[in-house]
Parts: sequence; C-alpha cells; structure tokens
Amino acid sequence: MAQLGSTKGVKTSERVAVVAAGVVSPLGFGLAETLNSLRRAKDCVTAVTRFSVAECHCKTAGQIPDDRLLAGLNTGLRAKRLHRASHMMIHALREAVMQVPQFEPELTIIGTTSGGMSYGEQYYRSLCRSENLRHAPTWIANYPAQKPVIDAQEEVLGVSVPCQVIANACASGTNAIGHAFECVRSGRYQRVLTGGYDALSELVFTGFDSLQASTPEKCRPFDRHRAGMVLGEGAAILALENLELARKRGAAILAEIVGYGISTDNFHITQPDPSGVGPRHAMERALQSAQISADEVDYINAHGTATIFNDAAEGKAISQLFNGVPVSSTKSMMGHSLGAAGAVEAVISLLALRHQFLPPNINFEALDDSLDLNVVANESRSAVVRMALSNSFGFGGTNASILIRRVEA
Amino acid sequence: MSLAIAGMGWVTPLGNGVDAVWERLLRGDEASATPICEQFADRSYSAFRVPESAVTGLAHPRLRRASVISRFAAIAGLEALQAAGVKVDSQNAGRIALIFAISNGGVIYTKRFYRDVVETGAQSASPLLFPETVFNAPASHLAAILGVTGTTYTVVGDGAVGLLAIKMAEDVMMDKSLDYCLVVGTEEVDWLLCDAYRRWRLLRSAPPIEPFGKQKRGMILSEGAGAIVLAREGPITVERAHPGGCYRKRGEAEEILKRILRDVSQVEIDFVISSANGTFIDQAEQGALEQVIPDAITYAAKPALGESVGASGLWQVILGAQALRHGELPPVLHADPTISLRLARSRMAVAGARRAVILSSGVNQQVAGLRLALR
Repeated sequence: MAQLGSTKGVKTSERVAVVAAGVVSPLGFGLAETLNSLRRAKDCVTAVTRFSVAECHCKTAGQIPDDRLLAGLNTGLRAKRLHRASHMMIHALREAVMQVPQFEPELTIIGTTSGGMSYGEQYYRSLCRSENLRHAPTWIANYPAQKPVIDAQEEVLGVSVPCQVIANACASGTNAIGHAFECVRSGRYQRVLTGGYDALSELVFTGFDSLQASTPEKCRPFDRHRAGMVLGEGAAILALENLELARKRGAAILAEIVGYGISTDNFHITQPDPSGVGPRHAMERALQSAQISADEVDYINAHGTATIFNDAAEGKAISQLFNGVPVSSTKSMMGHSLGAAGAVEAVISLLALRHQFLPPNINFEALDDSLDLNVVANESRSAVVRMALSNSFGFGGTNASILIRRVEA
Repeated sequence: MSLAIAGMGWVTPLGNGVDAVWERLLRGDEASATPICEQFADRSYSAFRVPESAVTGLAHPRLRRASVISRFAAIAGLEALQAAGVKVDSQNAGRIALIFAISNGGVIYTKRFYRDVVETGAQSASPLLFPETVFNAPASHLAAILGVTGTTYTVVGDGAVGLLAIKMAEDVMMDKSLDYCLVVGTEEVDWLLCDAYRRWRLLRSAPPIEPFGKQKRGMILSEGAGAIVLAREGPITVERAHPGGCYRKRGEAEEILKRILRDVSQVEIDFVISSANGTFIDQAEQGALEQVIPDAITYAAKPALGESVGASGLWQVILGAQALRHGELPPVLHADPTISLRLARSRMAVAGARRAVILSSGVNQQVAGLRLALR
C-alpha cells in the first residue's frame, strides 16, 4: 500500500478530481457519441482497410474513419504531415480543453505502445523497394512517441508543457493515469493532463497475429468460446486537478480518482501468470491505495482481451477479490487499442459513473466454465454505480488498476 | 525531496564499468567507430558500438532471445545495484521501483520482424521476435532477472528522456514504501537509425563529433546503457530535477533551456555536463549557458562516447557524479579553440566542486535539466 506521509511540511494526500475528459475511438468522436455507442451496445469492429491483412489470421479491427478524423482540423501543410495518432490526440485534447479552457497543466503524462509506427513502416518499405524517399524526413520527424503529445499541446493549448510518455505495453494508458494521479495526490503537482493513444499499424497487427493472440471471429471476452482479441485504436485525455483547488474555482468535477495499483508478475514476456497473481496484486493495491474494501466497487471495466490466457488469469483474480461485481470488457465493442486502452476505458468508466449504467460485454454467449463472474452480457444496464475499477495488463507482466469514484454534484 | 545516487553502472563503446570508462575518458580516449552496413543499401555508416564480447557474459533464460539493448540494460543495472550494495530478494522486491529510459527501443529486432513481413508476407512474421519489439521488453527482462514485483515504468522520448526518467523516479519515490529506484537508460544502434538521422541531416558520415562547432556537421550514434540506483540517503544527490520542456521549433530550444537553467542554477554551479553532439542543439545549449551561467566550466562527453540517445542522459549523470566524487573532469575532445564557452579542454581539476548541472537536449523536441550536489 502506498504510504503517504508528510514531506517537508507539504501535505501529501490530496484528493484528485477529473475535471475534463476527451475521447476518440471506434465508438465515436467525443463523450456523447461514445456514451450512445455504449448504451446501444454497438459493435464497432470492422474489416481492416488500412493495410492488407490477406495473409493474417484475423481480418478485423476497431478503426477510426479518416474522413472524420482529418476533417475540420487545421488544413495547413504541417497538419497534413502529422501522423494519425497526432490527429487523434488533438481531437481528444480539444474536447477536454473545451470543458476547462482555463486549465493550465504543469505536466502531461501519456501512455502509448507504438507512437507513429506506420510512418516507420512506410519509411522501411520505401527503403527496401528503393522507392522515392522524398517524404522520409516527414515520416522520421513524426515517428517518435512524444510527437503526437507535443503536436496536440501545440495545436490545442498553444503552449509547451513538459511531457512524460509511458510505454508499458497494453497497460500504458492506465499506468499514465495512475502515475498522474499519484503526482497530484502527493501534492507535487496541481494540474496534470493524462491519457493515452495508439493508432493501428501493420507491424503491431501482424505481431499479434503471429502470436495467434488475435481472432478471425468476434471478440468474446470471458466467453466459453472466446478465441482471441481484435485490435483497435484511439486516444483519450483526462484533466486531473487537486480536488480542493478545483472546487475553489468552481470547476465541474466529473469524478474522483481514488486509487492506483501497479504490479509486475515476471512470469513470461507475453503471457500472464495463470494464477492471476499479477492482476490480483494490481487490484489489491488499488483498493489499498483508495483505502476501500472490495465490496464498495460497483463495476469493473476489465482488461478482457478475450485471449484464453488473459481472461482466465484476470477472471480468476477478479473472482478471488470481488463477490459478484458486474464486469464487462468494452474491448468487445471497439477492439484493443493498446496504449490508448486504459485511457479510453477510464473514460468509459467515468461515463458509467456519470450516467449510472453498466457498459456491455458484447458477443457474449456463455461464461467460461472455469470462471465465476457477473458479466454484463450483450446489453448495457441501468445501475447504481458509485465506484468503478478499470484494469489494464500488458506484455512483460505489467499490471495496472485504477479506481474512479462518482462525485455528487 | 533530494534523492541520492547510491550506485551506478555503465556499458559504453569505451568499455564496461564506471571506473574503467571514467579512467579512459580522463585519459582522453575516444571510442572507435565501426562501419554499419545493410543488405539492401549501398551506403554504410559509422557508429560507436559496444563489442559483442562485452555483453556475452550474462547468462539468464530471459536474455536468451533478447536483443543487445536488453543485455546492455541488464549489465548496467546489475552493476549499479551491486555498487549500491542492494541485493533484491523476496523480502524487498516490492520496495524497489524500476524506471527505464528508451528512445528508439529494440530497433534491430523490430527491423528484422518487419523485414520478414515485407519480404515474405505476414505468415512469416516471427512470434519470437515480436515481443522484443515492444518498448518495455528490456525493462521486463530486467524486472524478471531481479524479481522486481512492484512499480516498473518505461519512459520513451529523445535524448532528454534519461533526465525525464530521473524526474519521474523522484515523483515515484514520493511513495515512502519504496527504498530504491533503479533508473536505466539504454539504446542499441542499427543501420536504419543511422539512415534516418542522416536523412534528417543530423548525422555525419564519420567521426569526430565536434561540439559547439560553428558548422553543425552532425553526430555519430552510439549504444550502451547507464544505470543509477536512487536511494533516500547518500553523498551525491539529485538536488533539483526540472520536469523538462518541449520546444515546438528548433529556435525555441534555447529559450526553454534558459528557463530550465535558471531553475536549476539558483545556487552556485561549478560545472555543467552538456549534451552537445555536433547538431543544432549545441547552439541552443551554448546560448543558454552563456546567458545564464557563463562562468561554469562545461564538459561534453559525446565526442568521446557518441550520441546514445536514450542512454545519454544517464551517461551524463554518471559523468557528473564521477566528476564531483573525484574532483576532475575529462577533456572535451574535438572542440574548436575559438569556442567562447569555458570548456574543459584538457583533463581539469575541479577540486572542491559541490554542484553540477546536467543539461540534456534531444533532437525531437524535448529538453531537460537537473542539478547534482556533493554533500
């Protein structure tokens, strides 16, 4: 458990408010569209169009349409050169900042796994085929993982803010939010922007396909007949602020982040410890960090990739800690957006808290016999949701969980 | 909160081990450049590489298929822990955090994985190579070797990322249940990286790196790792770590560096470890230093060791700590005698030095700085 004490007279256990949020994902552009898709249990996974998947086992992914992504943004030469990931970050940050125009972040902490990977792919393909490399400097300049973060800050905030980019594989988004939460809670920062992003890329798609982690079928988390994941993409931003200061300035408070847990299970570089010890420790530590008991949690947004191994380990850990708490994996609707996943799912949890409903786990037929879970099957449900837990686990045995609490108006 | 440097580890093209590399730098040695070729290209590049023999001694099942970037990190990390007298076991595994700084990551395996996809199709994609392409692969290998079970972060960025990782360590260590944070910066060189930087007009075809030169002839890439163990107490502290900044255009870098320098140099500074690498960042650092702390002696190690990007910030911190500890600075190699900065042009005594500033400027928009102090 994080023991927060007092350092040099500085109070080090501040409360942390979410004062704004923005999101773009296959579920939609912005909070309203996302909420609508969640309530309608919309399946947003479609045939992959960005690159050839002819030789891949899996043919589908959750994708953000370019016509909307690129429309309405700055049409200058610079904007045209930006990677899709930058455009996603710009959309998400713009939505958040519109809610709190006066928000001046001291730090930005963002999760990602692959930055502008598709530009790296274009560069390499052109090199191999001795093609025209006229655009190589643009690809190279827009490839680094910090670039979409800096682009979004420049485009939306017009200022440069120090940024930390966390690349903890599929846990990156939740790690970024969790670390940002700790930064504000410790009293070292008052306002931090956080979140995650990732854009679909061929290299990553074929990578998961080579591991036989992705499925040619529907994504069915926790289902008896689950056969693997589908990939997705997106970006989400949360503006975190010292709750007391946010209240003083009369800010609308969307929710409160109250706990964060991180663990490393060291079992295997791509597979979780089947005992579920890694996820269990992350969830336990989040509960301890929030100083709440498991029965105070009303909803769990699971990592739920629909791979055999993840869902077995996570399901076991959830059932060991929680007694019948509703669980869903919204990856069933939009795919696994890797570094964005934790951030998008934090926003989905926030919507569940704000609008008092349980987001659905679609494509669900029957629970895996070995699991004891209360899955929110196929349709969203109205419910009293005061506390939500969001899980993210990644390659390398990295596990992260955050707890988000409803704040009464 | 000031954290102390309890141990350090170093893997460089000049050798392994903090004391060994330090001695060679004091002697004015420079790493040897080796050519890097690629099968589909006529052009070759020069880079400072770590000899293969230097990374073969570490046998662990997790490193069997790992790329050299993970081996560099493991060797440096284990040296740092040993120097700090920290033995990780089941009792303290949760009390040690691990933070990695990386820029380009496992580029060798990434290229190999994608080459198979491009040349022979997705069905040839290797499930063994793919996990090694993920940024946090080196961190996960070292966490597994050590048995670390708690906080593990991989931070990605440009040449400033090492200092940003140290700043993050400072934030993470606000958790009083942690005793130590091992911060590792690591990087490997590949032809593809050299080609990319060359197309961006930041690389020169052969050594030397000429720091602060009027003509920005470019850098030579290098590889290796640097590691420091941060603890609660110790004689050399990270007295002030700035959260860094991002410049939007190259011309803004100097202004942001000035802000950082003003923040970290509010006390008397004895010397500066610069990240000058023969590119546009040298001008920005020189301008900032001349404006804010013109009297401080400046040392730049990249002419001797090369530009190791993700590892470079940790290398600079090791250099700063060694100089404070030993009261000496190595000579800055290949510097034009007309440069107006107070450079350590030959092996120079800085006896009695109490404080050093480390300045890291990346070529991809990030800059950072911190202050070390000898108690």
